[in-house]
Amino acid sequence: MEYFTPVSSLIGGLMIGLASAILWVGNGRIAGISGIFGQILPPPKNPAKNSPNPIMWRVLFLVSMIIGGFIASVLLPNIGVGGFGGDAVQLIGNPLWIASAGLLVGLGTKIGNGCTSGHGVSGLARFSLRSLVAVLVFFATAAIIVAVTGIV
Amino acid sequence: MSNSITHDNVTHDNVSSSVTNLAYLAVAVLSGGLFGAGLYISQMIDPLKVLRFLDFGAISQNGWDPSLALVIIGAIAVMMVSVLLTKSRSAPLFDKQFHLPALKQIDRPLIIGAVLFGIGWGMSGICPGPAITLVAFMPENLLIFLGLMFLGSFLGTYVQKWFANGDAIA
Repeated sequence: MEYFTPVSSLIGGLMIGLASAILWVGNGRIAGISGIFGQILPPPKNPAKNSPNPIMWRVLFLVSMIIGGFIASVLLPNIGVGGFGGDAVQLIGNPLWIASAGLLVGLGTKIGNGCTSGHGVSGLARFSLRSLVAVLVFFATAAIIVAVTGIV
Repeated sequence: MSNSITHDNVTHDNVSSSVTNLAYLAVAVLSGGLFGAGLYISQMIDPLKVLRFLDFGAISQNGWDPSLALVIIGAIAVMMVSVLLTKSRSAPLFDKQFHLPALKQIDRPLIIGAVLFGIGWGMSGICPGPAITLVAFMPENLLIFLGLMFLGSFLGTYVQKWFANGDAIA
């Protein structure tokens, strides 16, 4: 277990949960990231009834995700095992591999209506059977891919 | 002024609705900011760390990283409290209703979508949240991933329609 970072990962998880809770209690919205950017991409979607700023809140949320990550990295430049810092992060594989993965992530989360945040955090927290099935399927599939490709 | 009462009412309504609007957007900023910070602190923006969780074959060799499980459990626990707290409420603080996904049944698009997402996630170690927050660090080839992820989401809209039409015919 040389890579296990229980403290920073639990604290980060609690923050993600708090972020999801704030959006739910404040605005009645699920913090599902694929859904949030999916709704502002073309083709234009039907704006939900009685909802203020259907585009603006989503853009602000996404921009804040970037700024939040940046501020955290300035305040805590070295966390986790071996002094993890944001600038040490690298994508894995050649550009074609990365492009294929990106396409599948976008396509799959749109067709399946959610990702790790929407199904994994908010969906499971509200006892959605649909989300439980989605989470089991995408975790199992991803684990099989990692085992088959030997990417780690 | 003869129309002062009407005028005051209109002004008052505008002020209160714009304050609500501002609070609504402030919630989005606060939530997004915390979300991004949480992704950094939990190190879920590091693709290798995510893949080391998904690498269950490493359990027997003691090289497995269970960190992602703590991220998910911690996040679900806090979110669950807010779901239980709002159970008896009819509306959130700054909107007229809670927006729940309309879909309830376990259908083919859900499974096929989860499989496709799982393949992409297993190949890259990147899911949509980290893909966005990684913009703060701009690792090489991130824009390729983001561009294709957005394209996939766009194309997925038409696949969804195709599924919906097929089910209507069947």
